[in-house]
Parts: sequence; structure tokens; C-alpha cells
Amino acid sequence: MNALAYTEDQLDALGELVNIAVGQAGASLARVLDTYVRLSVPQARVVSAAAVSRAVTELTPEGTHDTVVRQAFFSAMRGEAIVLFGRQGGRGIGDLLGYQAFHDAASEEVLLDVSNILVGAVLSGLGEQIGARFGFQAPTVLGRETELSELLEPAAVPWSQALLIEVDFEVESRGFSCHLVLLMPEDAIERMRAVLNRMLAAL
Amino acid sequence: MNAPDSNDPQLLAGLIGQLNVGLFVLDPEFRLRLWNRFMELNSGRSAAEVLGRVIFDLFPEVDEPWLRKKVETVFQIGGYAFTSANQRPYLLRFDHHRPVTGGIDYMRQDCTFLPLQGPDGRIAHVGVSIVDVTDKIISEVQREEALARLGDISIRDGLTGIFNRRQLERSLEAEVSRVRRYGGELSVVMFDIDHFKQINDSYGHRAGDEVIQAVVGYTCGVLRQPDIAGRYGGEEFTLILPETGAQGAMVVSERLRETLERADIHVGGQSLGVTVSVGLSSFRADVADHEALLDEADRALYRAKSDGRNRVVMYRPANP
Amino acid sequence: MTMPILVVDDSTMSRKLLLKALPEDWDVSVTQASGGEAALDVLRQGGVDVMFLDLTMPGVDGFEVLRRKGEEGLDCITIVVSADIQERAVEQALELGAQAFVKKPVEADRIRQALEELGLV
Repeated sequence: MNALAYTEDQLDALGELVNIAVGQAGASLARVLDTYVRLSVPQARVVSAAAVSRAVTELTPEGTHDTVVRQAFFSAMRGEAIVLFGRQGGRGIGDLLGYQAFHDAASEEVLLDVSNILVGAVLSGLGEQIGARFGFQAPTVLGRETELSELLEPAAVPWSQALLIEVDFEVESRGFSCHLVLLMPEDAIERMRAVLNRMLAAL
Repeated sequence: MNAPDSNDPQLLAGLIGQLNVGLFVLDPEFRLRLWNRFMELNSGRSAAEVLGRVIFDLFPEVDEPWLRKKVETVFQIGGYAFTSANQRPYLLRFDHHRPVTGGIDYMRQDCTFLPLQGPDGRIAHVGVSIVDVTDKIISEVQREEALARLGDISIRDGLTGIFNRRQLERSLEAEVSRVRRYGGELSVVMFDIDHFKQINDSYGHRAGDEVIQAVVGYTCGVLRQPDIAGRYGGEEFTLILPETGAQGAMVVSERLRETLERADIHVGGQSLGVTVSVGLSSFRADVADHEALLDEADRALYRAKSDGRNRVVMYRPANP
Repeated sequence: MTMPILVVDDSTMSRKLLLKALPEDWDVSVTQASGGEAALDVLRQGGVDVMFLDLTMPGVDGFEVLRRKGEEGLDCITIVVSADIQERAVEQALELGAQAFVKKPVEADRIRQALEELGLV
């Protein structure tokens, strides 16, 4: 049905790659915050532009997410990371990142810091395994959910298929949670397939 | 060892020196290990002066607990870190280069923190780049202000700042459909300035404008928090009084009339006695729509005029 | 003597990578499980000497397997093989009765080291 979709073996291998990368990201965040970070089982799949906007809308039922941060990354595989933060935002963990006062700008800064740590760590973990080094743009605050769904409007994006990776991070004791979405459009799907095939062939 | 290439130390030193981007390097003890020309020029401190010294001792304006954590995180996990002028205006307090047209206090800075590996592969230093984004921030601010003004222009009356007729009708329409759906009370008031034409004729249009502004000023003083005021046109004004029945609207209208009657409104050093005529109507289920309600208030206003001005008349369904 | 081992991971590739990383001179018979519930079923039948256990799995995860294994008194040496490498994850796995912790991606040397420390090879 979908020429770009991965086989079951490829998906399995991708899942494990991502699992390891996410584990490293969790460990990085845990070290910085000096607390335990609960990780969900990450999901990885190829989706169409229409499904992305649907998937992300499902992830952001009205009122459950407050701040959305996006960050672009680039190398052989380009993409964008979207981090959706729970209602509590960064309130619970600001002090762990060296923020004392907690006005609006500071709370955004906390979320930008957390996004940057997670996105950087997930991609460096992924990069280590596939032999790529990623460059990063500074993360920016997107604002409200409507803006995100507008950005992902199928008609508005210049791609039809993307590799989608998602995972939750949670610091229970601090009431902090976020959902990380990595989107890598079109040619990243094929590049990743080549990597996965090499890995599978080596088994 | 190498053919001349981009890693030539002299080339690199020249480049770092001349770059129009601030660059400095910190060691794990927060001592400065590099300080380029951009930093020298903007801080007024030479490299010789700062190298080897702890940044917090040199620049007390730096938020120490925050910067410590930020830099330590880069040492710890070896990734980039960023700050944006949108959230944190600056890292180091530098003057900006738009002293004439700026309207902003200090240089706005986007910063990137770069992990620098030592020979053993561990992060030995953290480099920091500072990009002057003052111009970008100024134009963003100007754009936002312009957008806000545009938004305002489309809904507000330019002379008085209260809603224009279109926005007023839109608000009234929303209020009418709200009470129709959820119940509650709603009144609408129309009033105009008595003998306004004479003021215009005797003192000029400028004076007329000043009177209108003064009347709006006094009117806003009488209104309560949820009340909405708009200029319907010329010297005619409309008030929307949500959650207010006929009796309450009568009280507000009478207070308005009295306030203006006693108000000391000056034009060109001369005190004018300004009065207003007021018509009002309250919502009932049989009112067709917001236009009908406005029309009723207008008819009551006409009655107030014909009954001798400087008075309040309530619309009565049986006896219009 | 052949040692019966159980490899628990939701990823097929991950199980294969682990099997590849086991010392060649270690004589084992392998049972595989792709989830926590299936792993517990195998353990309940008895006869497993060493279990390699992933922590992050959908449904019954590795921590839960360790917990129930303890409660039910199921006996086998457990080596946790995990991508979640936070200190707290390691501590908790050991507290729940795991004998060793090896991080993913698995390296043959680390596996051998763990097996040697446990006197298995």
C-alpha cells in the first residue's frame, strides 16, 4: 500500500535504535536534573502528512498541553523536533536548572533548555549508532496548539511522508511531563532504511 | 603535518579575531580562556585583562546560578545549549549600536554554548558565541506594535479610542445572542450631545472634537467593568450594559446625564455647559435582534430630544 | 554442560544482537520471550539458569518481571540488559534482585565481564 513503509524487521530494528537513543536522552536529563526520569516505550513509524497532523492533534487534546517547542536539526537526515509540555510546564523543575525567579520568560527558558537537552541527546544517541553527527538550530517556543496544527496542516507541509518518532518523558516527583515528537521527512526515510538494512544484514 | 587548510592556526586566530560575533571560552572553573575582538570592543575590556579570570568576578550582572547550571550541563552531557533574546535579553550587558533609533536599553543577544573536546575526547571547555540581534528584536517589536495598531484601527474609533460602530454592533450582536441562549439581562443606551452643532459652529471643529473626547472621558468614568462604550457616529454614542435590567440601566443613564451636566468642560479656556439626551432599552425575548434593540434605544433617544433634551427616556414597548 | 538461558526483549533484533554478543565458548540452550508475561510463563515452568532481561517493554516491563519473580520465588540468575541507563534504573533493578546490569547497545566484552563476575564462564 505504501512504498515508503518499513518492513516488520526494519521497524523492529528502528525501534531498538530509538530505544537506545531515548535511554541515553533520559540518562542525560536525569543527570542534569539529578532525579529519575520515567520513559515510555518509544514509537517509530512512517506516516503520511495527513496522519501526522491527526497523530499530533490526538496527542494534544485541547487543554492538556500548554507550551510547544520546536527545534530543527540537520545532517544527512534533516528534521524537526516538537516537544509538547504538560500544563505544569517547567514550574516543577526550574530550580533544578538554576532558575530562581519564575516569571513567564523564565518558564519558557526552562522548557527550551529541557527540549534542547532531550532533542540533543536523542539525536546524538541515534547519530552514534548510525554514524551521523547532527547540527542543531536554537529551539523556539511555538505558542498555542492551534499554531502547531496549522503548521502541520497536510496542505501546508512540503512533504507527503515522514519518519515519526515519539516518546514521553516524565519526572513524577516534580509534576513534570513532556511528549517528544521527531519528524524527518521524505529522504530521511530512505537513508534510515539503508542504515537499518545494514544492521539487519550484520545480524 | 597538514597542507595549509582551514585548520591553519593563524587563519583560525585571524578569523576568530575579526568575526563580528562575540566568542569566548570558559574552563570548568569558569575562567576565561579566549576573548575575541568583538568581546573586547563591546565590553571595553581587553583579552589581557580578562583571560584567566573568573567570569562572575568580571561581570557581576551575570546571573551566576543560572549560567553555572547552563555551562555545567554542556560539560556534563556534551551537547549544544542556547539562549534566545526573546526570553533572556542578554548574557553580558553591552551597549548596542543603535543609540539614536533604538528605543532599547542594552544589546539583545542570542547565545550558543558549544562543547569543546579536549585531547581525551571529554569536554574540556565550553565556547560561547554571542550574536547581536538588537536590530531583529527592534523590528520585531515594531512589527508587533504595528500589528496591534492595525488590529485597533479596525475596531476602535480614532478620535476617542472607544469602539467604532462596526465593533459596537458586533459586540451587541454577541451579547444579544448570549442572553437569548443563557438568559440574564442586557440593556443598551444611546445618547448624544445636546446642541452639538452650535458648539461646532461657534468654536470650530477642533473644539467639537475636544468636547467629544471630554464627554467620552466622563462617560468612561461612569461605566462599570463589563460595560462597553462605542461611538456610533458624530456626536452619538452607544453603551452596552451586560447583566443590567431596565432599572439598573436607568440608574447608569441618569448618573451619566448628571455627571455631564455638572462636568466642567473647557474649550479654548472657556467653560461650556454640555448636556446629553439619553435613550435606553432593555432586552426582552420578543426583541427580534440586536438591530431591533438599537432601534428601540434610538427611538427613546428621539423622545428625550423632543421632550426637551438633558433627560433620560426609557423605551416602552406598549407606548413607544 | 549446556546451560538453559532465557532472553527477554520485545525487539527481535535486540535479542539477536544479544545472542551474537554471548561468548562463543559458552554452551547454552536458548529460549526467547518477546514480553514480560511470556517470560514469567517460561520461568514458572522452571529449568532456566540465566535470564537476560530488557527493562523497557510494553505491557509487563522488566521491573515488573523482577518484582513478580521475587514474589513467586522463581529462581534464576538475572542479567538486566537495558537502554534505560539512569543510575536509578540500575539501582532499582539490582534492588529487585537482578545480579548484573549491562547497558545497550550490548558489547561482547561487557557481557563476558558480567558472566565472569557471576562465575558463569
